[in-house]
Amino acid sequence: MFLYYLRLSALSYRRNPILSTLMVLAVAIGISAYMIVFTLNYTMGGDPIPHKSGQLFHVQLDSGNPNTEADPPVQLTYIDAMHLQETSRAFRQTATSKFSSIVEPANPEIRPFSVIGRGAYADFFSMFDVPFQYGSGWDSAADRDLQQVVVLSAELNERLYGGADSVGETLEFDGDFWRVVGVMQEWNPVPKFYDINNGPFDNGEEMYIPWRHLVARDLPRAGNTNCWKSIEGTGLEAFLNSECVWIQYWVELRNADEEADYLAYLNNYVSEQKALGRFERPMNNALFDVNEWLVKEEVLPEETRILSMLAAMLLAVCLLNTIGLLLAKFLGKSAEIGVRQALGAHKGSLFIQHVIEAGFIGLLGGLLGLVLAGYGLEGVKLLLGNELMVTDWIRLNVPVVIITILLAIVATIVAGLYPIWRACNINPAMHLKTQ
Amino acid sequence: MLQMTQISKVFRTDLVETHALREFSLQVDEGEFVTITGPSGCGKTTFLNIAGLLETFTAGNYLLDGADVSKLGDYQRARLRNEKIGFIFQSFNLMPDLNLFDNVDVPLRYRGMKAAERRERIDAALDSVGLLSRKKHIPSQLSGGQQQRVAIARALVGEPRFLLADEPTGNLDSNTAMGVMELLQEINSTGTTIIMVTHDTELAQKSRRNIHILDGRIAEEGASTSAEPAAVPA
Repeated sequence: MFLYYLRLSALSYRRNPILSTLMVLAVAIGISAYMIVFTLNYTMGGDPIPHKSGQLFHVQLDSGNPNTEADPPVQLTYIDAMHLQETSRAFRQTATSKFSSIVEPANPEIRPFSVIGRGAYADFFSMFDVPFQYGSGWDSAADRDLQQVVVLSAELNERLYGGADSVGETLEFDGDFWRVVGVMQEWNPVPKFYDINNGPFDNGEEMYIPWRHLVARDLPRAGNTNCWKSIEGTGLEAFLNSECVWIQYWVELRNADEEADYLAYLNNYVSEQKALGRFERPMNNALFDVNEWLVKEEVLPEETRILSMLAAMLLAVCLLNTIGLLLAKFLGKSAEIGVRQALGAHKGSLFIQHVIEAGFIGLLGGLLGLVLAGYGLEGVKLLLGNELMVTDWIRLNVPVVIITILLAIVATIVAGLYPIWRACNINPAMHLKTQ
Repeated sequence: MLQMTQISKVFRTDLVETHALREFSLQVDEGEFVTITGPSGCGKTTFLNIAGLLETFTAGNYLLDGADVSKLGDYQRARLRNEKIGFIFQSFNLMPDLNLFDNVDVPLRYRGMKAAERRERIDAALDSVGLLSRKKHIPSQLSGGQQQRVAIARALVGEPRFLLADEPTGNLDSNTAMGVMELLQEINSTGTTIIMVTHDTELAQKSRRNIHILDGRIAEEGASTSAEPAAVPA
């Protein structure tokens, strides 16, 4: 009977094309507005690494200014990051931060250009499950021995080597030669959880090198640096010994025991530092897993909540209109409903028939809504383009498409319940004589 | 087979009560062809709607094939209508966007019959009213008489025991009306019980029994003279 009812729905649409199209438009407009906001929320607030987000932790050490009540700093000082790195108490760990440099391609036809890179430890790639096209990340010996190795993004590899396997090639930047050990696949987690401080929706970096080179070569830092205390002295050494925070620090802990042990280790370390006159604020060390970190850093701006409410209200208004239109449509079919009852339809079968008809309208509204949402998201990209720099991540994806269609169908059926109830409870005798 | 005892039907609004049927008693046996006549508003259609389980009654007792219909729920009443009763209406009540095949298919759909059997029955029903060749046409492509024949085919396709016809010739010219009446007589001769409401006294004469209603009561009842007796199946 489902296909029969579906066919009746299509015929019913054809019988009242204007009324039916108005309903489809009402649903489409409401759904598209809602889905535009939903897509933004879904992408901005989604779990960027769902299979292990509970095992990756951002490290917070409160080395902030004791004279203010500001939130703890979101990055670490060089002293603290290096201590954590050297003691290596977690299953995996990495200090990481951004730098900029100039690449001088071997191909004379390509002019030198600037790149944004990231310094990291070997664990970075395995912790964050970075996918590789060619080769792999470097090993811990490369970190220790300051080997001049580099991992390229797929985009930079395309630019320099036309997308070919460049592992083993030599790349010149910062006035020196570096051996390519790996080329990543497209990897752009949204939000960019491992460096929210420098832009949760920024693109990933173009090249990755062992972190210690950043200090050894005094490479220009490309991320945020915050200092609550004046730097005592000048030069790199003074900066490294300061209370300036500029390094993100992540650890991988496999279970609650490892998490508890690591937090105890952090507290012990800070206690020792307090004895040395640092960490003047009350003890406030913490580990945030990926999702906790996204919430704490309010990656989803307040405006999106307001937008969500407005979109939900628009959807409600559109559905209220749909209720009126469905009422007109279904009550206009009273004579047909009366005939069907005379021929043996019971109220249950009429109810199902009209639920399917409402669902059919919802399906069409959902499909049209998807098209409108697609255009709407392009508009959002234009609006947000300058503010968020990169908006490639704003796009409809499979879950959003499925949710849109289902929401449209369910919302229209819910909107249709009252009209359907009215239609199924007409007195057939009233309509059989007067058709 | 159809037995109504002291049936009353009152339509109530805030201001008025209208007694459509008053202590109406009637028995119709299997194979009969009964016509119901009377002036407008006398309760003919109300009687037919109650007989067809489309309307409830205020008081009295109604047995259809021995079953007390007042105790049946919506699902059981719908099933009885589908399996035992066929309806023919004055304005045909065909569904305008379904072709003839699909119109006749409607009662069989609610019976949950398989496609092959439905196809066979529909073709036979349309053939019996001489419209098989036009089964892909939609109702608006047919004349009034042809549309009523489709409605008869739809009423017959489920092989009901009762045929309830509410002024089936009311929208037809006299020649076409006579053709429809002959078709109904032919159907009756195969054993189907027919109850027909009509204004046309000439047509009423062609049934085996005529009941005249006045103010919701049976005013006169008698056998018609020109009707042929129906062959009641054993």
